[in-house]
Amino acid sequence: MASVEQIGLWTSFLLTLMVFSYLLGDNLLYRLAVFVFAGVAAGYSAIVIWDGILIPWLHDTLLVPNATLDQLTLGAAPLLIGLLLLARSWSTRGDGLSRLALALLIGVGTAVALDGAINGTLIPLLFDTGEGVVAGNLDSILLPAGVICTLVYFQYQARRVPEGAGRRRRHVQLLAVLGQGVIVITLGAIYGAAILTSLTIFSERLGFVVQQAQVLLPTPTPTPAPGA
Amino acid sequence: MMRSFFTMLAVLLALTTALVTLAGLLLERQPVLLAGALATWEPLIREWSATLLQVFSISVAVSIIIGILNLLLVHLRRSGRRETGCGYSFVLFLSAATVIGLTYLERENLLTTGAEWRVLLLEQVQVTVESSLAGLLLFGLVYGAWRVMALRVNGWGSLFVLTVLLVLGAALPLPELAPLVPLRDWLLAVPVNAGARGILLGIALATIVVGARVLIGQDRSLRSGRDE
Repeated sequence: MASVEQIGLWTSFLLTLMVFSYLLGDNLLYRLAVFVFAGVAAGYSAIVIWDGILIPWLHDTLLVPNATLDQLTLGAAPLLIGLLLLARSWSTRGDGLSRLALALLIGVGTAVALDGAINGTLIPLLFDTGEGVVAGNLDSILLPAGVICTLVYFQYQARRVPEGAGRRRRHVQLLAVLGQGVIVITLGAIYGAAILTSLTIFSERLGFVVQQAQVLLPTPTPTPAPGA
Repeated sequence: MMRSFFTMLAVLLALTTALVTLAGLLLERQPVLLAGALATWEPLIREWSATLLQVFSISVAVSIIIGILNLLLVHLRRSGRRETGCGYSFVLFLSAATVIGLTYLERENLLTTGAEWRVLLLEQVQVTVESSLAGLLLFGLVYGAWRVMALRVNGWGSLFVLTVLLVLGAALPLPELAPLVPLRDWLLAVPVNAGARGILLGIALATIVVGARVLIGQDRSLRSGRDE
């Protein structure tokens, strides 16, 4: 009888082949593998969230023996917010209450995003880019210049010309063109790195399929030569 | 009348929660921000901010669980109605139910095989399909790069493909391509670095603009369609 590990290897082997069958075109096997993946991922996410976040929270608040009113309120608040978010789909009357729950989430989410953008990205990157200029070599000047050109490319302010269209100033246009070049090179390098990464993964999968095929399929026994 | 009242209340709630949370997060980094009489508010703001963040993260977890339950219910209903693709829906539901069921049985010590089914499913199904899909991406990426040059040849497209080829060529262990390595390293250190920083700064600036819109009550997500 096959062990659990062997069943696992068989499953992995078959699923890899099912996914790779997409190279022949969209087909039933590929779709089955993708739906299995979606189901397993959904199941895992539910378990991880339930075990790692919700159960500890409930144990610390609602399920505490002799819980205080504060603990009960705190424990029930997220459940109430979840129910209020659902209220919109139940009836149009729940729309207003649902928006209040959404407002709380948007408010806190905005604060977290703002803090992350300012303290996590903007200030460290600006300081780091600026510090490089002190080094004084060509690269340390090209780096901030490239950053400025990239940012200029993404701004769309322009003067309105008599024909009604907008036109950028010449020097802004020049900086934007340089910025476009920097962005194209960046995306090209990221694209190349993505190809290298997927090539590595593909060769690993292919190696696994070949190795499993050798193990799973019976190897032909050499027939003895006549007269031997 | 009632609708605009709820809208106003939602804007007010979003504004208050955003300001309190942001103040708490900033105070975590710079405790000397508030001075004099305002300093007495500091512990209170920090406590409220921490509570809001806790409620926010648990509410998001509850929302994800509700979303997963909804996904499973939709697919269960679809597989029951025997409409097109009902088989795939059934497979998705079955996969998720298997993961959740096996986890429950494992936890209750009802499985006698001794194997960790949950880990096995994660390694042999989820990781396998994930890595096979990532390997499959190789063909899409190469085909995409080919399409860039086949459909429309221009300067930016050529620069993009040249960068991709340079990154790929420098990764090959061929002595003939060794001169490409320093060029690739410079490209990654200066223009790619500058482009990536520019894009990240652009994202951070856009986040701040969106956050500021919420803080001044201009965000549309808090209003219902009839308010506008």
